[in-house]
Amino acid sequence: MKEIRIGSGSGFWGDLLEPALEMAENGDVQYIGFDHLAELTMAILNRMKTKNPELGYIQDIIPWMKKLLPISVPKGIKTITNAGGANPLQAAKEVKKIIQELKLGPMKIGVVYGDDILPYIDEIRAQGWKFKNLDTGEEDIERIRKDIVAANAYIGADLIIEELKKGADLVITGRVSDNALYVGPLMYEFGWDYSERYGDRIAAAVTVGHIIECSACVTGGMSNMWQVSERPWEIGFPIAEFYENGEAVITKTLGSGGIVNQWTVKEHLLYEIMDPANYMMPDGIADFTALHLIEEGMNRVRVTNMKGKKRPDTLKVCIGYRDGFIGEGLAFFPWPDALEKAKWAEQWVRERFKRLGVKFEELRIDYVGVNMLHGEAAPIEDKDFNEVGLRIAARTKSREEAEVVRREATHLWTMGPIGASFGVPLDVRPVIALWPSLVPREAVRVESTIMEVSG
Amino acid sequence: MAKIQLKELAFARSGDKGDVSNIGLMAKSKNIYDFLLKTITPERVKEHFKGMIKGGVEIYPVPNIESLEIILRRALGGGATCTLRFDQTGKSMGQALLRMEVQADEALLKEAETTDREILRRYSPISGSNVQPIKR
Repeated sequence: MKEIRIGSGSGFWGDLLEPALEMAENGDVQYIGFDHLAELTMAILNRMKTKNPELGYIQDIIPWMKKLLPISVPKGIKTITNAGGANPLQAAKEVKKIIQELKLGPMKIGVVYGDDILPYIDEIRAQGWKFKNLDTGEEDIERIRKDIVAANAYIGADLIIEELKKGADLVITGRVSDNALYVGPLMYEFGWDYSERYGDRIAAAVTVGHIIECSACVTGGMSNMWQVSERPWEIGFPIAEFYENGEAVITKTLGSGGIVNQWTVKEHLLYEIMDPANYMMPDGIADFTALHLIEEGMNRVRVTNMKGKKRPDTLKVCIGYRDGFIGEGLAFFPWPDALEKAKWAEQWVRERFKRLGVKFEELRIDYVGVNMLHGEAAPIEDKDFNEVGLRIAARTKSREEAEVVRREATHLWTMGPIGASFGVPLDVRPVIALWPSLVPREAVRVESTIMEVSG
Repeated sequence: MAKIQLKELAFARSGDKGDVSNIGLMAKSKNIYDFLLKTITPERVKEHFKGMIKGGVEIYPVPNIESLEIILRRALGGGATCTLRFDQTGKSMGQALLRMEVQADEALLKEAETTDREILRRYSPISGSNVQPIKR
């Protein structure tokens, strides 16, 4: 039976690089997918592109590809990456230069773009589509229209498949869904199309994509298995062995650290999803309540009976808009009476804010080491703490107001209780709020092209 | 019957989708799953988090992996990019849920302890070993 080995080389912007190189070296894979994009990333990349039309992609791709391609290309391993961000064509040009420098050609780079709907969002609105907010239920984007800085559709694998069919050795995309980086190569290799008959197979690919797409998060990272993870500092990234019959084995790079077992796979199946029976992706809808997990060896978990439904008619679209600023401050108080000192300091800043008449959209004060993480769900212990921190955070309309918060917190360092300790002041940061919505699939003008690199 | 914390009976891991905090709660045995299914109600979860959850709570059973998916709406201060929470993406919410106290049969506690021991026995890395995945 035909089997494809596909691995995850990156789960977010800033992920480790060595596990991807080790996977290319020892993973016996045909494909490696690289995800670099989170909700906020597109807004950041868009801003970079506005300032300089030759930027707007994930620049890490340059040092990464310099290290990865000399290992992966001779082995025929294909790379699928969404590092194109807001500027996939420019990213492809940069990678082309690397291929030429390293004399790795001839190669074909597939480029997928057009997920950015901001240039024509008003045309879609003119046809009566209002971009209802899926979180808040607000019906129309009118209120935030002038503050929108990014609007990207999470496109599916269609054009990744198209480019692989044209012989691409490397595919660079914009905001395709993380999942599609894995679904694309599998659909291409097994020759599936989007018709009903492949519903369960594609759902299996969607499920497997979900399991591996966050890299170390299924191999012992962020895990309840943290105490039994082997050499976690040498953690390996996940690899799926995907079989033509729609079954798969989740494993990791040979000889790497970390752990893959039923618990790490369960953790990740349940991670950041809504209804587990309807995990909705642009390429298909997976039902996680049907599958079975079987541990079939060390670091090997077989996933069987994966089911699902045909892809939805709408695509998720993430709209980012400017929504004020956040100012933050931090100070720590030592024993004795650490908590009492923190409470005193809280009152001090609150009175200062009153005196200055600062207007907040929201103000939040936490005691670090006491209730910052679990909030009201945690009891406050009656003890003399070794140290307690005070964290002050506020959201404001203007940068100036956020600056006041930051500055008052630093005054606490010299005017606060005895022993007040501090680090480096935190910068005020602009807020890009997110407006999750849907867009009709056919309204998104996706495109793709091959960029040839001669030998 | 004994009063115990959920952390004895289950594992949890949480993350975010906008302003939603989603918690995967994984039972340490089939009987524990059945117990959690009837014990962990949306009302109880909301009550446990005191004022932290501004929206609704939904619980989806995932019987095939003896787990629950718990959805907490408007629980992350507006979502990662605009929240004032230090834990912007709600990673600590699952651990907070494990503080919940429940009245459970001691037999369930025994089953959970068996699973905990089994995990240590089966997966503990042998010092200096280099466990290789077996390729079929």
